[in-house]
Amino acid sequence: MSPLATHRLDPQPGELLDRSRPLSFTFEGNPYTGFAGDSIASALAAAGVRVFSRSFKYHRPRGILTASHLDPGCTVQVGDEPNVRAAARGLAEGMAVHAQNAWPSLRLDVRAANGVVGRFLTAGFYYKTFMAPQRLWPAYERVLGTFAPGGRMSGAVDTLAEYDQRYAHPDVVVAGGGPAGMGAALAAAQAGAEVMLVEQEHELGGHLRWGGPAELVLLQDLRAAVAAAPGIEVLLDSVVVGRFDGNWLSIVQRDLPHVEERLIKARAAALVVAPGLVERPYVFAGNDLPGVMLGTAVRRLINLYAVRPGTQAVVLTANPEGDAGVADLQRAGVEVAAVLDARRGEDLRRALGRGGVTGVETADGRRVACDTVVTSIGWTAPTSLLNMAGDRPWYDPSAARFRPSDDLPEGVLAAGGISGDGTVEELVEHGRSVGAAAAAGHGAAGRPAALPVRAHPERFRASTHGIVDYSEDVSSKDIIAAAAEGYDSSELVKRYTTATMGPSQGKLETVNTVAVLAEATGRPIADLGTTVWRPPYAPISLGALAGRVHEPVRHSPMQPWHEAHGAAQLIAGAWIRPDHYGDPQAEARGVREAVGIIDVTPLGKLDLRGPDVPKLLNLVYVNKWSKLAEGSVRYGVMCAEDGVVMDDGVTGRLGSERYLMSTTSSGAATVWEHLENWLQTEHPDWQVHVTPLTTYYASINVAGPRSRELLARVTEGIDLSPEAFPYMRVRTGRIAGVDECLMWRIGFTGELSYELHVPASYGLQAWEALLSVGADLGCAAFGVEAQRILRLEKGHLIVGQDTDGLTRAYDAALGPMVKLDKDDFVGRPELFWQEQLGEQTRLVALQPVDGTIVPAEASQIVRRNAIVGRITSSRMSPTLGRSVCLGYVEVGLAEPGTVVTVLLPDGRRIAAAVQPQLAHVDPEGERLRA
Amino acid sequence: MPDTEPIARSPIRIAGPAQIRFGWEVSAVRSTAALRLGDRTPLAKVLVRAAPEGRLAAALGVPFGLAARDDHATLVIGSGPGEWLLVGPPGSSAELAGRIETADDALVSVLDFTHGRALLRLTGPDGARALAMLCPVDLADRTTPDGAAFRSAVAGLATDVVRDDVDGTRSYLLHCERSSGQFLFDALLDAGGEYGIEPDGFGYPENSVQLFEQVAAAEADGSAE
Repeated sequence: MSPLATHRLDPQPGELLDRSRPLSFTFEGNPYTGFAGDSIASALAAAGVRVFSRSFKYHRPRGILTASHLDPGCTVQVGDEPNVRAAARGLAEGMAVHAQNAWPSLRLDVRAANGVVGRFLTAGFYYKTFMAPQRLWPAYERVLGTFAPGGRMSGAVDTLAEYDQRYAHPDVVVAGGGPAGMGAALAAAQAGAEVMLVEQEHELGGHLRWGGPAELVLLQDLRAAVAAAPGIEVLLDSVVVGRFDGNWLSIVQRDLPHVEERLIKARAAALVVAPGLVERPYVFAGNDLPGVMLGTAVRRLINLYAVRPGTQAVVLTANPEGDAGVADLQRAGVEVAAVLDARRGEDLRRALGRGGVTGVETADGRRVACDTVVTSIGWTAPTSLLNMAGDRPWYDPSAARFRPSDDLPEGVLAAGGISGDGTVEELVEHGRSVGAAAAAGHGAAGRPAALPVRAHPERFRASTHGIVDYSEDVSSKDIIAAAAEGYDSSELVKRYTTATMGPSQGKLETVNTVAVLAEATGRPIADLGTTVWRPPYAPISLGALAGRVHEPVRHSPMQPWHEAHGAAQLIAGAWIRPDHYGDPQAEARGVREAVGIIDVTPLGKLDLRGPDVPKLLNLVYVNKWSKLAEGSVRYGVMCAEDGVVMDDGVTGRLGSERYLMSTTSSGAATVWEHLENWLQTEHPDWQVHVTPLTTYYASINVAGPRSRELLARVTEGIDLSPEAFPYMRVRTGRIAGVDECLMWRIGFTGELSYELHVPASYGLQAWEALLSVGADLGCAAFGVEAQRILRLEKGHLIVGQDTDGLTRAYDAALGPMVKLDKDDFVGRPELFWQEQLGEQTRLVALQPVDGTIVPAEASQIVRRNAIVGRITSSRMSPTLGRSVCLGYVEVGLAEPGTVVTVLLPDGRRIAAAVQPQLAHVDPEGERLRA
Repeated sequence: MPDTEPIARSPIRIAGPAQIRFGWEVSAVRSTAALRLGDRTPLAKVLVRAAPEGRLAAALGVPFGLAARDDHATLVIGSGPGEWLLVGPPGSSAELAGRIETADDALVSVLDFTHGRALLRLTGPDGARALAMLCPVDLADRTTPDGAAFRSAVAGLATDVVRDDVDGTRSYLLHCERSSGQFLFDALLDAGGEYGIEPDGFGYPENSVQLFEQVAAAEADGSAE
């Protein structure tokens, strides 16, 4: 049975609750109820729960401090989701909420023993203690890991969680939807700007929401105006987390029904920063006891959630907002046992109690019983976004806070409370002025002046020591100790003590940290300055940063056939290719014995046109191209400027000034860029157009002794006889009823073969026609694996497989192709030098002496324990019934018949013999020239 | 020898029932959703390359970054410096190419790109919002009004985008390498989900009375079927 909501008040004018919708949930396994509109924390507080978590280091009990998304004491686990901010997360039916940093239970946390030895766990303790001996670090790490704070991930991938992203280009982004932010958005929209109004809370209004009747009326008016204004996009439960050059803003949006979070990348003409002010905690002994809370927390609990924060309160106030908190407490029926007015010099000394507040000791020694201590002692201007824009805030002692400078960067403006103080009407009006200036694109000269500030006492720490950073359990003693050790600047203290490095990222802690450091060093706060804020402004999930991952894929026109016929898919770059259809060895045999077809659409294809194409070919290939006749095809090798093999392929001359170049599948884009680079930078005078045509054609290689017979059945307009269409020629004709098809006679597999290039929209038709009319010839599809077997049997290298980033043309046995007598070509100087130097290694064909063993690719070739080569390709040859390889050996071992030692990955050493030529099958080339 | 006319196929899977139109297998679905995504791959696409400042460039009259229809209702897209894509009715590639006057420029390339590019049309008032989920370019009227053309990453894929409104309704033509057409189609459908996007079949090309008449005439005399 749920505990009674003993602290729930009667309906309040501005409350968020829908009392017609009760919600059930559990906390630490116990049942509770709340209402729709409650936060997790407010629902628990309404039931009298005061302890929500244990602290990071000392495992001290923690309760509500700010009652906002910054609240360091209200981080909980909800189901599988860790680190949920309970004071900001809306309550939902069935939530299972657990405390974090508590073991075995929130009530009895054995790690609270850390607090007993806390005097030894000062800043730097871990750095100093666990540095040595180094060998024990793994053990230290295991033990310390059990003390790691935070919630627990389930380990399961949340397949339901979705994240995405969008781009936006608003004229004005307003960060903060309080009175000034709404005013800015309205004025900007009225000036015709497209405005994005971003509010971190679930609704617009800022502090108007917990104000009195006049503020609530103003709130409704402003909300209605925003809703009615064209051109304002309101993002609730969303936050601008980063500002980068050119007002490139990252915004996390969380108010969407269908995605968990969306990352908006916005390029804004103007950014208006209007986050208001953040109330600053006070440093005194016991300031983190459950029951100690800020004035704004009290006002949120009472006015937004109808929760009575306690029964008996002591209030320390230094400003009118604190006074309003006193009035709220009294109206809520809380006995205000004492009001200490800092403006009159009154002060607290310490809060009393162990698991929660039981009283206070005032500066003058009085003890007052209470269960709630409320402090309203000052403000922090959250200048993070301005800081990211390059602004350095300055300390204004009269306001007791850092303020934005008057020299904000172009396109960045500050509005409302962050700028200065004023009535709500003055804040709205300031926002309007700033919004209008933002829409008008005024430079610094046209900006409204900052609001004035009202005098505020400079009170940061009482006469006792207390917590400065609640998230990191850093006390004022830690900061003073750090200063004594020489860490005497804001940045050094931050890194040494971790103060301001917790989830609230300094919004609660920075000013107090700097103030205590100033006290310790005797330097003015203004001299010390703040640390530099960097993105993110607020915690952001990795899912939001990742967004929706788009990984483009490419399919050939024959992909539906491959899928329908059970092809095992191979991912090759962005291409999805059929690796095999079940038995690659049988597929290879089918090609050798009859005929097979393979989808080679990914082969790069470049259309080259113009009178200077031969010059370009001579430049980029190592061999000669001036005399390539129309209708002929030639194999070419491309090297980079360092002589390293870059790509290979065949190029055919289709007309007097028209050529088609093919590249490797993976090299298509690189080669295109390579050609354009040379044309545009070195030879802009050459008349050449290079146009990628890779996916214009569906490419099909027809290979096998019966390939000519097969093609004769589907081809019109091409004489396929060996005399009319010999090896290394290209023809144009009609294939399978499709006009404008290209047919090259080339032979990567070592068989009589033809490469067909069919306009892609008819690719599937041609593919199916070939299989259909060739069924009686034994025609079958073969995949990439069978092709790799066949080309290895033939000894044809694959660039990238049998070469790497250091392989120069001579190493790869391509020396005969390199024509150093050409005037110039890419890589010539290096290749000339290599030719003079002589080969160091050479690509050779190898056959293991035991033909049943297929050495793994990349196996080392060794002489005793020295590496003298490597295997680059290896397969079991279905044609020879034995294993065959390509590999590199030192040139002294490259003589045919030399037996080398191959070191297998399992440690065995086998013997392999160097072959007389690269081809294991048909070295004379009779089959492909048939 | 096959005794039937070949059927051209787009890289994008047919949504709903299929039909043969203009020699292409296309979707017969007609969507009335506010945001629609249609496969327009069958439209003829011809790439023209010539000197950016040459006579042909002047004759085409469309600079890089813009698109406009010529006197023949052909959509002329300034797709790059010295590069234009002409888009016309299905089967009109040869006609489009034939209109290009090549004699006055030193070097002109005219290539049929119909089978090399996937072409999609995204139509509806929320088209820009859906596209903004995938594309970093500012899609506001002031930056990319009707007739704007640009090349950008859409869902991480190099894509040419043309703002080509249909009867006053915001509409985009998107074309990419044919091999990634299905990927782009799926990404746009996904992005448009929250705006109620639906796949649309291949009807008559939009946005041009002249084009409609041209296609209708071709259909009537059987030359387009």
